[in-house]
Amino acid sequence: MNAIGNIVFIVGFLLIIAGCYCLIRTYHMLKIILGIEVAMKAVTLFITYAGYINGNIDLAQSFVITSIVIEVVVAVVAAGIAINLYRKYGSMDIRNLRKLKG
Amino acid sequence: MEAVIYTCLGLMLIFGVMAVMFHSMTKSAIALAAASAALGAIMYETGAIWSALLEISVCSGLVTVIFISAISLSNMDKKELEKVYEDKKRMSLLPVVLILSGAVLVIAALSAGVSLPHADASAKAAGDLREILWNNRQADIWGQIIVMITGAAAVSVLFRESDWK
Repeated sequence: MNAIGNIVFIVGFLLIIAGCYCLIRTYHMLKIILGIEVAMKAVTLFITYAGYINGNIDLAQSFVITSIVIEVVVAVVAAGIAINLYRKYGSMDIRNLRKLKG
Repeated sequence: MEAVIYTCLGLMLIFGVMAVMFHSMTKSAIALAAASAALGAIMYETGAIWSALLEISVCSGLVTVIFISAISLSNMDKKELEKVYEDKKRMSLLPVVLILSGAVLVIAALSAGVSLPHADASAKAAGDLREILWNNRQADIWGQIIVMITGAAAVSVLFRESDWK
């Protein structure tokens, strides 16, 4: 049995579960972005390990770079929305998003 | 090499869960940065040097700065966070969920014969990263440029000067 492979599999899934649990249970906008980031870390781990076991680590790196760029842009835009939400309602509660029009 | 990967995997899991569990947003952001640094170390050990560099500099550095900036702009303290969002109560079941899920995954890996393949040392490397990015995955580069321009446009719309007045 491949110990590293199984531990990567277990750690990755636990991180995805932690991130998804955070997405489901919290109302704080920044905490939601944190949950997405934690789940994305697990996805990046899986891509890296897939490249490592295939011997195509350079191809995996190109995918990881793409996912990092997307991750950062998502974090920046979501943080901007969170700050605007705070400026309008005085809190980062996502339940306030329902009050927005348009 | 394996000892470093095992240690970093453990650190990544601990800091990732801490990032979600902490009631202080600043501590959460720092824990996320530490998880990114552990992932960067794993990437370096598996030979993904360029993505390790990007993971540590961008995800561990830039994203943390973005989070800290957002936290300082919102200026919400820990007690208010606990009171308004009931964070402590709502996140209290996470350790139980993780322990149960971990037990199920370990049992599945041990008994059902779930075993991922070994690293194939004889597998041919696809080539230099620059060659792959510019020849094989050129569409990705254009996609990344479009995503970055879209992000910049979104930020400029979100932070229009007229809104600050």
